Parts: sequence; C-alpha cells; structure tokens
Amino acid sequence: MTRVLLVEDDPWLAELEAGLLKKAGYEVTLSPHAPSAIIAIDEIKPDVIVLDVLLTGGTAFALLHELQSYGDTGTVPIILCTNMAESLRLEDLQAYGVRRIVDKTTMQLDDLPAAVRGVLL
Amino acid sequence: MKKSEGLAGGDIVIHEVSSLTAAAHELKSPLALVRQLALQLESSEVTDEQRRLVQQITLTSERALRLTSDLTRSARLDDALFELEPLNPEQLCKDIVAELTPLFEAHGRSLAVTHRTHPLLLVANRDLLRRIIMNFSDNALYYSQPGTAVHMQIQALKKSGTVRVGIRDYGPALSADMWRKLQKKLTHSPQSVHARPQSSGLGLFIASQFAEAMQGTIGATRHRDGATFYVELQASRQLSLL
Repeated sequence: MTRVLLVEDDPWLAELEAGLLKKAGYEVTLSPHAPSAIIAIDEIKPDVIVLDVLLTGGTAFALLHELQSYGDTGTVPIILCTNMAESLRLEDLQAYGVRRIVDKTTMQLDDLPAAVRGVLL
Repeated sequence: MKKSEGLAGGDIVIHEVSSLTAAAHELKSPLALVRQLALQLESSEVTDEQRRLVQQITLTSERALRLTSDLTRSARLDDALFELEPLNPEQLCKDIVAELTPLFEAHGRSLAVTHRTHPLLLVANRDLLRRIIMNFSDNALYYSQPGTAVHMQIQALKKSGTVRVGIRDYGPALSADMWRKLQKKLTHSPQSVHARPQSSGLGLFIASQFAEAMQGTIGATRHRDGATFYVELQASRQLSLL
C-alpha cells in the first residue's frame, strides 16, 4: 500500500486530510512538525510527503533542505498543502522535490488524493 | 506593505495596515479549516435544510478567505512587478459570474454580464482585475435587494482612452452625505470610508490599491435605486492595430 506522510500541525485539519487520503486507499502517518517528520521518514520510508508550510516551531523549508541533503530522501515527491499557495511558485521549489502545490483556501475534498495520485504516476 | 499617498500620520496608518495584513494571515488557517469541515459535512448524509446551512457556511468562509487573500496580496504590491497584458474584460467577467453564481443564488440574487457585440480590450493584470471585480460583486451582493440581478457592464470611454468595468446593483441609494464621504475618501483610508451602512470600506480600499498598481482608478456612480462601482483602466490599442 502506498505510504503517505502527512505533516500538518493543525490536529483537526490533519484528521480531516488523513481521513480523505485513507478513504482513497493510502496508508497515512501523521506528523505535527518537522522534527517528528524526520523521525517518521526514517521509520516508514514514505512514498509521498504532504507538507504544510507554516508549521509549529519552523517552516517546511528547513525540512525540504534537510531531505535534499540525503540521497535516500531527496527523491521522495513532496506536495505542499498550504494557505500560502498564492505566494509560492512551483518552478522555484521543484529543485527541493516539490511536485505539486495545493491551495488550502480553495481546495476541494478530492484535490489532495488527486495530487497524491498525480505525483505517483 | 502598502502605504497610501496623501495620508496624515503615515506611521500610524502603516502600522494599522501591517497589523491588518498580519491578522489576515492568521485568519486564513481557521477560515480554511471551517471551509474544509463544511465541505466534509456537505458530502455526508444530511437533510436538505442542513445541506442548505452547510453550503452557507462554505460560501461565507470562501468570501472571508477572498478578503484575507486580497489583504495579503495588497501588502505585496510594492515588492512585486505586475505583468500587464491586453485582456478581454467580458470574458473575465463571465468567469467570475460562473464562480460566484452559487453564492448569489444562495442569497436569492443573480449575477450577469451585459454582452457587447464588439468586444473591448483593456490593459491590466488579470489577477488584480479579477480581485477588484470579485470585490465589487461581493459588495453588490450584500447591498442589493433580494430577487434582483447584479449586472456587470463594460464600456469604452473614448475621451480618456479607458475602459470602464462597472458592477451595477439595485439596492438602497447612497445618502448625499455618504456619497460626499465616498468621493472624498475612496482611495485614502481603510478605516474611515463608510462606503455604505455597515461597511468598513476595507474592500474598496484594497480595490483602489489594486487599481492604482495598474495605473487605473476606481469610482462609484449613485443611482436612485442602487449604485455602480467601477474600475477604469487604459484601453488596449491591440484591436485597432489589426
């Protein structure tokens, strides 16, 4: 089963997004912040990472740098799921493994599962 | 952060606008969550009445998200370069009508574009113009009478070489006093413009900042039975060159 690591610090939104991904058939592991995400990445070896940008105690960009510095994590496709989508450009982030940007303020319920499907093609 | 020209006590206003922008950022997360929860509830088994109420929550949170998004966008106007391009405003208006029709229908109103036989082109940044028209449409929705239609109208102003996109609503008329305040302060302050009763004028202030960034202006026309809020932008000469 495809393993998705969901890094989201809002517990209610995390629960909602995890439910949507599980319903779509993915195995989901939740991490509320970057340090726990790094541990989870080592443990579960996710196929896809869904990452919020503004996280408690830091931003996603520190985590992106960290992932790119290792050969085995640098190739994991990353989906940014964020309220800051309008400030970000995919072209600027592709070098960090970001394959999709999902806008939390406008996304529909099937957008996140569709994004995961899309990066696995 | 955007500073308005001609403001007295500029530091205070800068601080206030900055605080507004920070507040807008902070509000985005809970609003986006409310919207997602409402969408989730809407997709489950609920009664028709519950569905109607949940749709209202979704639409209201989307409206609030648009405003927070406009606020954060206005704060970045100074730092950004805006691509101006020839645009067909009628097509843009049609896209906005398609997007806002569920919101208008939920409020018992409709939204339409007055079709022009000969299309006009203007020079604008698509995103900023879209935000202005969305803003005026939101404004019209809440001040139009139930059962009425809000019309988007596009006209060429040959004397000034501009194209005007107006949003005409049918609601309570602006009082003469209100009208004077609006004309005087339309572009000058996010706090003191009471465009209409119960309105802070914040949306209009943001729209004026967006218009200014495209070398355009916004304004309003008072009618006996409502108002037209409009944006004027430079006409594109592209068609005349063909």
